[in-house]
Amino acid sequence: MAVKKDLSIKCLGVDCENPFFLSSSPVGGCYDMVAKCFETGWGGVFFKTVGIFVADECSPRFDQTNKEGIPWLGFKNMEQISDKPTEKNFEYIYKLKKDYPDKVVVASIMGSSDKEWRDLAKMADQAGADLIEGNFSCPQMTSHDMGSDVGTNVELVEAYSKAVSETTNIPFIAKMTPNCKNMEEPARAAIKGGAAAVSAINTIKSITNVDFENNTGMPVVNGKSSISGYSGAAVRPIALRFCAQVMQDPEMNKLLKANKKDFGYGHEMSGIGGIETWKDAAEFLSVGCRNVQVTTAIMQYGYRIVEDMISGMMHFMEEKGYNKLDDFIGCVLPNLIPAEELNRDFKVLPKFDNKKCVGCGRCYISCYDAAHQAIDWDEKKRRPVLLEDDCVGCQLCLNVCPVQDCITTGEIKWKKGRKKVKVATKQHFD
Amino acid sequence: MSKVEKAKYTAEAQAGFNHRTAMEEAARCLLCHDAPCSEGCPAGTDPGKFIRSIRFRNAKGAAETIRENNILGGSCARICPYDRLCEEACSRCGIDKPIQIGKLQRYAIEQEKIFKMKTLKAPAKKMKEKVACVGAGPASLACAAELAKAGYKVTVFDREEKAGGVMTYGIVPTRLPQKVVDHDIAQVKGLGVKFVLGKKVKPAELEAFDAVFVGVGLWGAKVPPIKGTNLKGVYAAADFLKQARTKKTFKPGKKVVVVGGGDVAVDCAVTAKLLGAEDVRIVYRRTLEEAPGNMTEFQYALSLGIGITTNMAPSSVLGTNKVEAVKFKGRPKVTESSELKLEANTVVFAIGQGAEDFSELAPVKLTEKGMIKATAKGKTSSKKYFAGGDIVNGGKTVVEAVASGKEAAASIIEFLQKGVK
Repeated sequence: MAVKKDLSIKCLGVDCENPFFLSSSPVGGCYDMVAKCFETGWGGVFFKTVGIFVADECSPRFDQTNKEGIPWLGFKNMEQISDKPTEKNFEYIYKLKKDYPDKVVVASIMGSSDKEWRDLAKMADQAGADLIEGNFSCPQMTSHDMGSDVGTNVELVEAYSKAVSETTNIPFIAKMTPNCKNMEEPARAAIKGGAAAVSAINTIKSITNVDFENNTGMPVVNGKSSISGYSGAAVRPIALRFCAQVMQDPEMNKLLKANKKDFGYGHEMSGIGGIETWKDAAEFLSVGCRNVQVTTAIMQYGYRIVEDMISGMMHFMEEKGYNKLDDFIGCVLPNLIPAEELNRDFKVLPKFDNKKCVGCGRCYISCYDAAHQAIDWDEKKRRPVLLEDDCVGCQLCLNVCPVQDCITTGEIKWKKGRKKVKVATKQHFD
Repeated sequence: MSKVEKAKYTAEAQAGFNHRTAMEEAARCLLCHDAPCSEGCPAGTDPGKFIRSIRFRNAKGAAETIRENNILGGSCARICPYDRLCEEACSRCGIDKPIQIGKLQRYAIEQEKIFKMKTLKAPAKKMKEKVACVGAGPASLACAAELAKAGYKVTVFDREEKAGGVMTYGIVPTRLPQKVVDHDIAQVKGLGVKFVLGKKVKPAELEAFDAVFVGVGLWGAKVPPIKGTNLKGVYAAADFLKQARTKKTFKPGKKVVVVGGGDVAVDCAVTAKLLGAEDVRIVYRRTLEEAPGNMTEFQYALSLGIGITTNMAPSSVLGTNKVEAVKFKGRPKVTESSELKLEANTVVFAIGQGAEDFSELAPVKLTEKGMIKATAKGKTSSKKYFAGGDIVNGGKTVVEAVASGKEAAASIIEFLQKGVK
């Protein structure tokens, strides 16, 4: 590798080779799988959730959404927690930690009672797990005493977090469900109970596709289907929002300090949701996450995707002049402000490059049908003509243009009587 | 060794799209405001609209658009010279390469067949006037379909056993499988158009009709005025292709020379190759850039190992009784002093077709070349007679024949309606 950057990071006091982890799911469900992922370069694993309850799964159990021929825009699964015996899973965790002492093994657990949570925490402790994650968020459990039904009940989140943190000194991460009104309340409850951090998001309750052969949802199980968790690229924007909101909650820091759960970096978080590339991972780090967890992209492409996450992240850091991940972790948080605080005194006109323009007229159609009729169409030349006075600077045109660098950021126009200031705009578009 | 794609004479040269690959290609489409591809289609097939339908998961709607606008949409999907029509006009050329419009059209029509769609319906209430279409080629079929859609009773006459004209008898099946032609013709039949095939129509039979469309095509053999063209083994393209298509035992011999630079020349060469000829060459009197043939067809010929020689014109055919060789001379001012002699068991002249004498069928004015003199709207010198396709334009593409058939149908309807008043 021509560019070499230090991707190591401390998460809740644990040294991690890099911030790339498997999330608790089928991609990390046995010794051999996790051993292979470690060999491929992943920094750690959130092992597939272990319970006292052993799952009895349906078949088939997956579906995916696509758009314009691009598959796996989103992915739906109906799997629950591990279908292997409880002891067997902790044996795997023990053996993995023994064979790969430098990799991070997180035991993901899920109980259905205070006692079960304590028993599982004890077993995780004995197995030598580096960290424990509490699964409060699987939306397709066959029991309402487990999964996202628990994660939306703040009393239970606090009680079970307490059960774990009273049983073991291993830092406890509470995994949040996005199927909630807001995430700050259950997150605070987890920290109040003694958790050291939260991770987010688990999957979103969904119906991905309707099957008109059987008049049910997908996947079809004996002519029926169930609402269950949606993941993959489509959920990334929602996941980022939850992570940023939890990270921006000032209460979290206060509670962590009061509970003495600050490992030197204040409020820590683990980001999950549609991560496929280094860029996706960097986005989660930029809103304050200290590691990221991946499943859906591995289901589609395999463990090897971590190679380009590692290499791509190093190139990004080289380009930006960062030497360690902490140089940019959380860098976006100060710039995410409430809508009422945005400067609304100006408009940014689009700039058209008539040489690059291929004359498809998509900007004209979208401006007319969905914006402010501020683009005229020169039928002879097949080129757009901007009507500057009518243009409101929404940049819908820039977003629909199919040609690279054809419509870009143009002139700034100030609304009447507004104070001119220096304006930062985006100049380079992918 | 180069990879030679050797197909069978009747096997399709190119695989089509499936749902996924069609969607991938449709997603490349820029969905232009004033789709230039649609402007680029002579027959008004409206690719801009049908590609949008595919993109929004409405392949059946796409098939409807194609079928409503172009009755021979299935055949055109296979044989249109896209690279100089819709695909040349495609805005995406400004980014990388055009959308594969022909292949998307083929996909949509394949869906039409799979779902047994019946897009076109003739009105139950018929007009009282009857129209005859002479010839069952593209122009006549298009004209007949339009008239049937408007409620007229139409009869198509053709001397051949099968309908389709040049599509059935003049194009190599690797490029245009017969089942595709038959599927298109089934749509015309579905509109209630009557077909009288296998015998020449008599002038008296046409008297019973209120209007007559002449779309007889160009089937007169055309060979250059050089020595030796009367030898055995010398063919005009149409005759060669028809023999290949109709006689199961037809063998072109080991060495075949095809003279010409259009798609028909390539079809002849490909036919010869796929029927077992070992050494096949296309010789054209000008350069490839100047050749009227579709570049992808030339590339297909090359992939089969067919040689192409340019700037050489035939000067004589040699042999006693049977052809043994062809001599060529260079192009004036370019390859003037060059000479070429090629051994040959078969020589095919694919240098265009001529008109036959059809004066007793249709009392209309002709051009010096024997073509029918007709307006862009298909009107001839005689009120009741209309014409279109190769017999008017001197031999162009199927899609242009469809366009002229549609135009003529509109003129016929106008004429018949005026007549009623």
